[in-house]
Amino acid sequence: MPESIPAPLIIDTLKDTFREARASLAAEGVRPRHDHLGWILSVPDTHQKSVLAALDKERTLRVLTCSTEDEANAIAAGLWMGGEPFALMIQHAGLYASVNTLRGVAMDGRVPIFYMIGLLQREKDKEPRESRHSMVRYCEPLLDLFGVPHARLEGPDDVRFIPEYYRLAQKRRGPAAVLVGLETA
Amino acid sequence: MAMKPEEALRAIAAARGDALCVPTMTTAPAWRTLAPDDQSVGCVGFMGGASSLGLGLALARPDRRVLVFDGDGSLLMQLGSLATVAGAAPRNLVHFLFKNGVYHTSGAQEIPGGGGVDFVQMAKGAGYRAAYAITDVAELQRRLPSLLREEGPILVELHTGLADKTPMTDRGGVPFAEQVERLRGRLIAS
Ligand SMILES: Cc1ncc(C[n+]2csc(CCOP(=O)(O)OP(=O)(O)O)c2C)c(N)n1
Ligand SMILES: [Mg+2]
Repeated sequence: MPESIPAPLIIDTLKDTFREARASLAAEGVRPRHDHLGWILSVPDTHQKSVLAALDKERTLRVLTCSTEDEANAIAAGLWMGGEPFALMIQHAGLYASVNTLRGVAMDGRVPIFYMIGLLQREKDKEPRESRHSMVRYCEPLLDLFGVPHARLEGPDDVRFIPEYYRLAQKRRGPAAVLVGLETA
Repeated sequence: MAMKPEEALRAIAAARGDALCVPTMTTAPAWRTLAPDDQSVGCVGFMGGASSLGLGLALARPDRRVLVFDGDGSLLMQLGSLATVAGAAPRNLVHFLFKNGVYHTSGAQEIPGGGGVDFVQMAKGAGYRAAYAITDVAELQRRLPSLLREEGPILVELHTGLADKTPMTDRGGVPFAEQVERLRGRLIAS
């Protein structure tokens, strides 16, 4: 059975992930220009709202709320060129809303965009692909269609997928996603 | 009298210094010939994304000016980006809006609302620090030095006619992924 993941655990994992990213950027020769560790580009995801609430108090992670997920993808490309670490925090509906930009920016533009996608309304006792809700059901098949690697965060142990998929995005120079199975605690 | 977009771009090219530039749609082929350098990245393949792409650059590199050359149809497609830019408040971003009243690249169909859409008011309403309309190239030339120093984000609505070339009539140019790679390389080295 999937379990909720506490917000502080997700935030600490993101911080570690960005620290590691900054270290490898420094190795590439990027000069540090900011005090923060990285950016969270968000169109608020109901499913990860405890994370967003906790991020309000974080000084080292800068949250930029965007009007659309399309914007978040394009902003990410600018941050990438400027040598800044970032993650996109959206929900499945936001993925559906922004597929053209995901394709144009992350895939065609070869920008390593790491997505955290909330599976709002996902039933605890069902595989997402068997969900009653189309929003839940089509998320993984859509990512498969676009060849976007993805993993599901089904409990606290799975936060290891955050750095793993972040690194994967960098390595393949393209999109990679983790899906937040249950509402964060 | 509407100015020629190429004239506007020529004036900007002369005044930009080391500003990073983000052309899109019909400004892209003209910019390629006017500024064949590697300090630009076009918004190609994700209509409406130019201002957001510029915002990301501006936030990552507050030490550099970023100039966006947006299309009016493109901005309408992602109009909410005005609020996102205003909220992020990058001091170093200048958003030029090439207002030709049409979707020139896709065949010059009139944009919703036609020439009556007032992007200056929209930008001000969204919270840009300032927004201006400029209708002739002499005025643009005169004001550019201060526009490029002014605290952003600002929007400059340029009233233009149609460009000589569009991305459809003048294909080619460097693919988006290569432009990204090239500019990233430049930025990391500087
Ligand atoms: C999502 C999406 N829908 C439609 C198109 C088709 N399209 C290509 S160019 C264009 C018009 C662009 O108009 P504008 O931004 O005003 O720039 P201009 O060509 O006038 O310089 C349209 C509608 C597209 N590229 N992407
Ligand atoms: Mg137009």
